[in-house]
Amino acid sequence: MASNILGILFDGLAYGSLLFLIGVGLSITMGLMNFINLAHGTFAMAGGYISASLSQKSGMPFLATLPVAFVGAGLFGLVAERLLFRRLYKAPHLDQVLFTFGFVLSSIAAAHYFFGAGQQMGVMPSFLQGQIRVYGIDLGRYRLLLIAFVGLITLALHLILSKTRFGAQVRAAVDNQDAAAGLGINVGLIFSLCFALGTGLAGLGGALGIEVLGLDPGFPLKYMVYFLLVVVVGGAGTIRGPLIAAMILGVFDVAGKYYVPQAGAFIIYVLMIVLLLAFPTGLGGKRA
Amino acid sequence: MADLLKIEGLCSGYGQARVLDNISFSMRAGESLALLGRNGVGKSTLMRTLMGLTVRHSGSVRFAGIDLSNAPPHRRARAGLGWVPQERAMFPSLTVEEHLTTVARDGPWNLAAIYDVFPRLRERRSNLGNQLSGGEQQMVAIARALVTNPRLLLLDEPMEGLAPIIVQELAAVVGRLIREAGLSVIVVEQHARLALSMTARAIVLNRGQIVHESSSQELLDDGAKLGRLVAVA
Repeated sequence: MASNILGILFDGLAYGSLLFLIGVGLSITMGLMNFINLAHGTFAMAGGYISASLSQKSGMPFLATLPVAFVGAGLFGLVAERLLFRRLYKAPHLDQVLFTFGFVLSSIAAAHYFFGAGQQMGVMPSFLQGQIRVYGIDLGRYRLLLIAFVGLITLALHLILSKTRFGAQVRAAVDNQDAAAGLGINVGLIFSLCFALGTGLAGLGGALGIEVLGLDPGFPLKYMVYFLLVVVVGGAGTIRGPLIAAMILGVFDVAGKYYVPQAGAFIIYVLMIVLLLAFPTGLGGKRA
Repeated sequence: MADLLKIEGLCSGYGQARVLDNISFSMRAGESLALLGRNGVGKSTLMRTLMGLTVRHSGSVRFAGIDLSNAPPHRRARAGLGWVPQERAMFPSLTVEEHLTTVARDGPWNLAAIYDVFPRLRERRSNLGNQLSGGEQQMVAIARALVTNPRLLLLDEPMEGLAPIIVQELAAVVGRLIREAGLSVIVVEQHARLALSMTARAIVLNRGQIVHESSSQELLDDGAKLGRLVAVA
């Protein structure tokens, strides 16, 4: 029983790591521009398909496809932001929702056309398959790597945000955009770079998540609510809030599906309501 | 000598709503200007318009020989406008020192020079923007504009809500900046006499228009006129 609970906790943390990796960029960009972006999952899907195509068709090792997925999704994000998204920053929220939802539907159709409707399979190297036994608990090697890897990325993000001049400029722009711009910070450029970094991380998450989240053309729609929950519950404009929110969501979703499968996603929606009543501005404490 | 700032026929506001109506004036380098008027006549809107944070309907803003009429805020700041926003606009997630290093540009106003003028900020350098008293926040707001090494400092109600002793201290610092550092300054202030005592020239706004322009001394000497124009306490 105890090992069962620990196993679910472990799977939940691995799942939460992925949700965080994909959702953290959305938190920063929503905090910066107060822009409602439903299309974040599209960039995660793009990273997933880049990785899957490279490993299936060109035989590239899975781990080597990850940086390509990161850079590819980030460039896709940068171009989409410069050409399309930035036109809507000052638009009403309804326009933003309609536009980004349309973007999701288009991306689903495009993925369907190019890659077919089926689930993509990751080509895992053998050393990442199977499980290792730690104190009587079976831990999936791949999930272990996932948690460690996301931990490192979180640390790197934290250092960038807290120790560099760029990070301080991002924080200043999130705190008070007018004052930051009026003191010489190019808020538009900061936002583009954050958007590129955030969509790159989403792409990395999409690639790493093929084994855990699956990958088919419906991906951006299927997980849209999860990414938004990470931001709404965590609070926009921070990384600590979304990290905690993603872990809570991951653990409760896995536990719920294991213990009360008939309740399905009901559990996390109840959780969201409870958390938002307790922390109206999100766990990170900033405006959401 | 060429004008440092030249504003011609400026109309601006928020969205379609017009706040400023046909504003024209100019300033030379080293000049100091008090911008006075009752609440809601457009003083802060004029400051925000200079920073590119309102909608400009018509007219032009030239600064240091560059047309900034259509420039985004960060380019205006880099051209040499040092903005001290109303209500101080702290960054709660930045420390005092980060407020300064994040926006600093090369010039005589570096960290050491700032800490000489505001020793209090050296003591508070690790505190976050929302952990400061009102007076300390105002020092940060002024220091933060100074480290951009501006040619024109825009002070928007710097004394608002501060204790009288802090007001005296800050007024002395601003006065020194104008006289000794030769900085050009526009100061918006509810304490009209204080603003007039620090500056050489004065402009009074009413309903978005310039209704009076003279030397600061002239308004200081004619209390009745000053009272009529700005209803000073």
